[in-house]
Amino acid sequence: MPLYGKKQFNAINRSVPRIDGYDKVTGRARFAADLSMPDMVYGGVLRSGRSSAKVVHIDTSEALRLPGVLAVVTAADVEKPQSWASYMYITDRVRYVGDVVAWACAETPQQVREALAAIRVEYEELPAVYDMRAALEPGAPVVQEKYPDNIFKESVFHLRKGNVEKAFAEADFVIEREYETQYIEHAYIEPEAALAVQHAGSGEMTVYAAAQNPFFTRRYVADILGAPLNRVQILQQTLGGSFGGKEEGLGLLAARAAWLCRHVNRPVKMTFTREESFLESSKRHPFLLRYKAGIMKDGRIVAWEGTQIDNCGAYNNQTQFMNWRANAHSAGVYSIANVKTDTFGVFTNNVHGGAMRGYSSPQLLFAQEQFIDEIAEEIGLSEVEMRRINCLKTGNQHATGATLSHVTISEVMEHTLAETDYEKKRETYKKQTSSVKRRGIGMAICHRSCGFGAESPDASGAMLIANEDGSVLVHSGLAENGQGLKTAYAQIAAEALGVPYENVQSFGVDTHAIADCGMTVASRGTVMGAQSVRKAGLQLNAVMRQNAVELGFFADMRKIEQVNGLKPYSLDDFSVNSGEQLLLRDGVFYLPDYPAYTVPFNAVTGSGIWAGKQLSSYAWFVPEPCVQDHETGQGVIAPTFAYGCVVAEVEVDMRTGYVDVLHVTSSHDVGTAINPALIKGQIYGGIVMGQGFAVMEDVELHAGKVGNPNLDEYILPTAMDMPNMRVNVFECDDEKGTYGAKSVGEPATEAVGAAIANAVYSATGRRIRKNPAGLEQVLLGKKLSKG
Amino acid sequence: MQQLQYIKPKSLHEALQYLHEYAGQAKPYAGGTDLMVQLRAGERRLAETRYLIDINGLAELHGFAMKADGTISIGAATSHSAVSQSALLQEHAPFLCAAASSVGSPQIRNMGTVGGNLCNGSPAADTLSPFVALGAEIELHSLRGLRSVPAPDIYIGAGKVKLAPDELAVRIHFSSAAAYNTAFVKLGRRKALAISRMNVAAALLLEEGRIADARIAPGCVFPVPGRVPMAEKLLLGQTPCAHLFFECGKAVAEEMNARTGLRWSTPYKQPVAEALVQRALCAAAGIAEEE
Amino acid sequence: MVTFSLSFTLNSAPVHIAIEPNARLLDVLRDQLGLTGVKEGCGVGECGACTVIIDGETADSCLVLAASVAGKSVTTIEGLEQDGILHPLQQAVLDHHALQCGFCTPGFILSAKALLDKNPHPTRNEIKTAISGNLCRCTGYMQLIEAIEDVAGARQEG
Repeated sequence: MPLYGKKQFNAINRSVPRIDGYDKVTGRARFAADLSMPDMVYGGVLRSGRSSAKVVHIDTSEALRLPGVLAVVTAADVEKPQSWASYMYITDRVRYVGDVVAWACAETPQQVREALAAIRVEYEELPAVYDMRAALEPGAPVVQEKYPDNIFKESVFHLRKGNVEKAFAEADFVIEREYETQYIEHAYIEPEAALAVQHAGSGEMTVYAAAQNPFFTRRYVADILGAPLNRVQILQQTLGGSFGGKEEGLGLLAARAAWLCRHVNRPVKMTFTREESFLESSKRHPFLLRYKAGIMKDGRIVAWEGTQIDNCGAYNNQTQFMNWRANAHSAGVYSIANVKTDTFGVFTNNVHGGAMRGYSSPQLLFAQEQFIDEIAEEIGLSEVEMRRINCLKTGNQHATGATLSHVTISEVMEHTLAETDYEKKRETYKKQTSSVKRRGIGMAICHRSCGFGAESPDASGAMLIANEDGSVLVHSGLAENGQGLKTAYAQIAAEALGVPYENVQSFGVDTHAIADCGMTVASRGTVMGAQSVRKAGLQLNAVMRQNAVELGFFADMRKIEQVNGLKPYSLDDFSVNSGEQLLLRDGVFYLPDYPAYTVPFNAVTGSGIWAGKQLSSYAWFVPEPCVQDHETGQGVIAPTFAYGCVVAEVEVDMRTGYVDVLHVTSSHDVGTAINPALIKGQIYGGIVMGQGFAVMEDVELHAGKVGNPNLDEYILPTAMDMPNMRVNVFECDDEKGTYGAKSVGEPATEAVGAAIANAVYSATGRRIRKNPAGLEQVLLGKKLSKG
Repeated sequence: MQQLQYIKPKSLHEALQYLHEYAGQAKPYAGGTDLMVQLRAGERRLAETRYLIDINGLAELHGFAMKADGTISIGAATSHSAVSQSALLQEHAPFLCAAASSVGSPQIRNMGTVGGNLCNGSPAADTLSPFVALGAEIELHSLRGLRSVPAPDIYIGAGKVKLAPDELAVRIHFSSAAAYNTAFVKLGRRKALAISRMNVAAALLLEEGRIADARIAPGCVFPVPGRVPMAEKLLLGQTPCAHLFFECGKAVAEEMNARTGLRWSTPYKQPVAEALVQRALCAAAGIAEEE
Repeated sequence: MVTFSLSFTLNSAPVHIAIEPNARLLDVLRDQLGLTGVKEGCGVGECGACTVIIDGETADSCLVLAASVAGKSVTTIEGLEQDGILHPLQQAVLDHHALQCGFCTPGFILSAKALLDKNPHPTRNEIKTAISGNLCRCTGYMQLIEAIEDVAGARQEG
């Protein structure tokens, strides 16, 4: 399998500049919070600051009397306080600190704050439970009445393959470990914002929103208004990062803004402060992970058992999907004959867990990839050999039963190990004796099912419009979230249609203008979502070729002969009757056998518009179905997998526990690199996000309350913390994704934490079974807290 | 943010008049890096504040000066950036420059001032430790007159400082430490924008290879800042070596336990205080931490 | 409420404006002067999205009292492009794909500009230090550093 650079394309497989780059470097890009409207007013919310309580009495009279205040709203005033999912727009039964008990709307943000401060609330504190283990105890306080044992039953998944009991009995070694991960904040730099505007005549609601998934946001807005979806328009604004985070919290925010907008009959803007974003946006959910493996003396893993429990928080609409993924990846990137794992979510009175880049995998890999190292050490084998023996290879059966093709992990891994001098360094570092600073090197390998697979339908639609001047618009229901989707889609449209990239512009998402194509999540945008763009491009290519013929551009044979240097009348027996005889490439139409005569794309669009020709296409793409058994998890889970290997090198201050991540090499099989520079950006960003997960980030919860709700105390890596980074982009000839592309956004971050944790062990001999490897954890083997 | 009036006095005297007239309702505004955060949070300590007195234009509060007797003074409204880049301070108090350059981020260092760092009652103020080691005195002015407070005494508890509402820190004075070898070490959870988990400022005066004077000022270790006389004493007359400094670190950690009692954080802070003190002394003496 | 009459230089042009005395520079720039390239990410001077240059030095405009910039010169991202030509740093950020969501981008470019105005040939460590008050969650900083190095013609070191 080659590194990037062997494939031949025109518009894709090149690092073209970003479509949205100019607006972003000049400060012109409009984010939702940047917008204002004539007559606009502001909304805000009051949060209880309690983890479990009932509102006994709420008095808004004083707030209503304040200058500039237009509305003060409590749960009793709202027809439908609960959203279509479990989350509450407003409530009088508080289940976590983010819950909202009142809204206010006023002429200025300051007046909103004053109104909220003037609301008097009396609460009755109710029992609460915070820890996953405690929530599972019989008699634990119930978080959601629908789930009396606190188990989110829709999120229960199983994997059953072979006979683990028998395999354990026959195994030479049986090893068990438990790991635990922390709450992680997305920490996109743009806090959530929405501006709701109602059209006076029709009553139609338009919301300009910082939404990762505009159609998902529409569901919330239509829900709170009781309006049909065709009366609610969401216009996605330039999005300041999301990583899975601007989903539920943003939906609630947009819905509240729309309700207030209708209520006061003025445009309403609502934004989250950073603290509110911490309280009401979802988090990377903590996992409690127990694994048990049966291993033969030769290193073969013959049995694998696992329990994967995740903390849902107080409300949840994601864990059932995240746990599908956690279940499907519960045996790692390994070929194991006998597997039995169980995965489920538990409700607690904490901030809610939700989608975050990796969608369970960073947590699982943190455990699994350390576990592999631990197993190897215990049975006296090198961790590299352990992986060589057990990792998936072409023709192997995945833990879900599917037989795999194009498995590239061995090559990706061997290249990375050789490049980093991994094995030699690992040996050298074992001999360190310093009591001050020690270095360590660690590795992790990963695989990821591309797109939704069996999680949900991976269908999408796209529309292409060629304008009279030859410029082209590509229109999709999937969204630019900063990852470069508009750029990639323009490249793919250009490739399929046969025009230069520069001719194509990507349209942002307007829910009134295109069909719902599902969510922009799961690293599916390019690998699967763009299949419809490609299909629409190929369709329009055919339509335009036919137009070129019908409009007479290939009727003058004398001219074709002349331009091709042929004798007059030599093509007398030849005529062009069908578009199928033509090619459209790089912006020109031509006959493959007589390529010197070319017709520019804009000549055909220019005539076509006046001749009433179709200059547009719309395509819907549905991948081959993935069918999986719910009870056993057996079946086909995805069209293909992305593979990656990360090697991290750290220096640990043995006297303080400080982990300095010095170097990270990250290698990924991306299938086809649609835009290598964008891919590198994804991988660099994924490395630093993984570094934060591994060594410093931790949403501190004390009885459900967030102890570090801003970026001063919830710390992200800065430019001074980032490691030296090396990225290897591999391509392969697996054709399942769009032009052979595979997922990369999530693979980029998922194995980094595990590699760093293994490196910390290499340096210190101390296992980080409870993430992150912060100062106290590394030095003492535990976190310290005041409680 | 609450309703506030902005006042920009043209002279120090005028500033003091405002602080006197609006005592308890006026706050000096210099860098704003702490004050604006506290105002945003609606902190109770600012509940009575109605006036912000912008002291940035006052010449007395800026710049560096050195007197003939070797005493150096820094204007209280001098930014951390200016301190960290001052050639004079690089020569006479290099560990102060190091501490100033470890504060926050470039933006925060450009805005934040040394006076603010000392007078806002943050236990993790990075420049406090070197100022304590330098024996710095803070010159406080009010219409009632002028007084001097030793650096360690300004901080009396988290968010609490020994500063009357009508008083303004104008300059910070200390003697040159050019004859000393100094070091500042800081432990944070990241390399920039880091709040000190702990820090140590150390200064050693070496005469003919032996330690003639030693000053150790740990930060975030004691309930109130201060030097560690009994640990310093261990060093006097000795030849610098890692083992000696290790013992000294242990003495500081013991002193920490004596002053604070055993706390939830002790299991971490004790070994790390030992390490950081040793590290700072080794760095000052220019020797390796490990023999 | 008594308003404050503020005069200062903004992106090389004089500005006279009535503001509230307790207004943050960030809000005056965004809400009163329409310069929404200045972003609010945290409100506590940590993320650097609101970075502006005041008299040659970067500052977090969320922590600056607007009244205090009287008589000073303030530069925002909107002031960098001249006659339709991007500032070399803006162009380099584009060329190096050194942005993703773009929310932090203006702040980064201004921090880099303040650095290069003073130190035209910084080392990689000096670049990292100069942008350490600007948080980016998308890019991992790498392509940003390369873009700044490209403009500086600086060699990689340390």
